[in-house]
Amino acid sequence: MSEYAVSVKHISKKFKLYHEKRDSIFEAMTGFMQEKKNSEILQALDDISFDVKHGEIFGIIGPNGSGKSTLLRIISKIYAPDSGSVDVKGVMIPILALGLGFHPEFTAITNIYQSSILLGFKKEMIDSRVKEIIKFAELEKFADTKVKNFSNGMLMRLAFATSVLVDPDILIIDEVLAVGDIRFQKKCVETILAFKKRGKAIIFVSHDMGVIQQYADRAMFLNNGKAEKIGLPADVVASFGDFCRARDKLNDPSSK
Amino acid sequence: MTSIREEMWKTRAILFNFAISDLKIRYRNSILGILWSVIEPLLMLGVLYFVFSTMFKFDIPNFPIYLLLGIIVYNCFKNATTFALSSLSNRSALITQIYFPRSIPGISSAITAAIMLAIEVGILAVFMVAFDFVPPITILLLPLILALEFAFVVGVCLPLSVLNVKFKDTEFIWGVVLSAGFFLTPIFYQFDMLPEYMQSILQFSPMVQILTMAHHVVLYGILPSVNTVLYAVGSISVVTAIGYLIFRKYQAKVVEEM
Repeated sequence: MSEYAVSVKHISKKFKLYHEKRDSIFEAMTGFMQEKKNSEILQALDDISFDVKHGEIFGIIGPNGSGKSTLLRIISKIYAPDSGSVDVKGVMIPILALGLGFHPEFTAITNIYQSSILLGFKKEMIDSRVKEIIKFAELEKFADTKVKNFSNGMLMRLAFATSVLVDPDILIIDEVLAVGDIRFQKKCVETILAFKKRGKAIIFVSHDMGVIQQYADRAMFLNNGKAEKIGLPADVVASFGDFCRARDKLNDPSSK
Repeated sequence: MTSIREEMWKTRAILFNFAISDLKIRYRNSILGILWSVIEPLLMLGVLYFVFSTMFKFDIPNFPIYLLLGIIVYNCFKNATTFALSSLSNRSALITQIYFPRSIPGISSAITAAIMLAIEVGILAVFMVAFDFVPPITILLLPLILALEFAFVVGVCLPLSVLNVKFKDTEFIWGVVLSAGFFLTPIFYQFDMLPEYMQSILQFSPMVQILTMAHHVVLYGILPSVNTVLYAVGSISVVTAIGYLIFRKYQAKVVEEM
C-alpha cells in the first residue's frame, strides 16, 4: 500500500472574472474591437501542496471565497488546475453539493444507479446495496419518489448514504452535512469515524471549529487561495482565530 | 491501476446509461411515449408527400419510400445534434459534482438518435411491405452507410455540446443550419433536379453524400462507386477531425462556464 491516499502538489488555479460576460458568438466577435478591459484575473489557488494518508481525516477551514470549494473540485477532477498535479490512490467520491449530481426527474433509486455508474461502480454491485442505501438514508417511503420533490435534508441523506455504502477509498465532503438534523449528523460522524478506522481517507470542509478540532487528524487554513497553515487542528484553528480577530478589528471602526 | 479494458467497460456502461436515460426523460411525461419518435417522421412524410406529389407533381418512382428514407436519415442527424446542444448544458448539476469524460453526453446524444433511427428503419420496412416494394440486394449495404452517418453525427455532436455552453447563441445558429440543411439535402427532390452550380457546391455536404448513397442502395440497386465512398469518408473525416479539435479546445474548461 502506498503511503498517501491523496497527494496534492503545487496546485494553482486562476479564474477570469468577467465584468460583463460575453457569452454569444456575436459578442465574442465584436468584443475584439472594443478596447475596454472586460475581465480581471482572480488567483483562486496559489501553490497548494499537501498529502492525506490512508486512515486520516483532513479538515479544511477558511473564510468564504478562500478557495476551499475550488480546491475540492480540483481534487475531484471536475476543474483542471492551471499547474500542479493531484494523485489519487483508490476510488474517490466527492459530496460537493446537495446530491451527487442527482437528476430531479429521476426517482431516488434511479439516481442511486446513475450516480454510482458515473462514479465507476458496476450495476451488479449497486443491485446488492440499493436497499441498504435507502435504509441508511431513512427514505424507505420515498424510494420511488422523484428527487425534485425531496427536501434539502433528504437530498443530503441520499447523497451521503449512496457515497458511503458503495464503499470508496476516499471521501470528499464539502460543508453540506450541516443540512441534516442533529440525529443524522451524529450518524454521519459515526460512519466517517468507522471509515477512518478501516483505513479510508476523508477530506472535509467545515466552518465548525469544534468539529475540526474534535475529528480531524490534521487541518489546513486556506486564505485567499494560499495555505496559511497546515498542521495539527488545534494550531490551525488557533491561527484561523487570530486571522478572524485581526480582520474584525480592521473592519470595526469603534475599536482603536 | 485500472487497465484500459476496465476503463472502456466503465465508459461503455456510462454511455449506455446516458442514452437510455435521455430517452426516458424525453418521453416520460407524454401519453404516447416513445411512439412520438415514430409519429413525427410519419406526419412529416404525410405533409411532404401531399405537397410534392399533388401540388408540384414530382415524378419520382416509389416516392413514399424515397421520401421516408430521406426523412429518417436526415432526422437522425437533426435529432442527434439537437440533443447534443443541450446535452452538457442541461446536466450542469451532474457535471459540476461528478467527474466523467466530457465527451460522454455528446456521444450519447448520437446513440439516442441512432436508437430512434433503428425504430424508424423498422417503419421503413413496414412501408416497403405495404407498397409491395421489393428492395434490391444492395440494401444490405444500408447499415454501413448509416454507420458512416453515425461517425459524421458524432463529429458534429461533440463540438456542439461544448460550444453551446460557451456561446449561448449556438443553438439558434444551429436551428438555422438545420432548416437550411433540410432543404439543401435531396430529401423530397432528386439531386440532379438542382441547377449545376448548386450541385457543384452541395456535393461537398456529407449529408448529401450519405443520403445519395442510401437512395442508390435502397431504391435503385446501384453500388456506390469507390470514388463516392472515398469522397464521403474523406469529407466526414475532415468534419470529425475539426469537430474533435474544437471539442478538445473547450472541454477542460467547459465546467467553469456553468
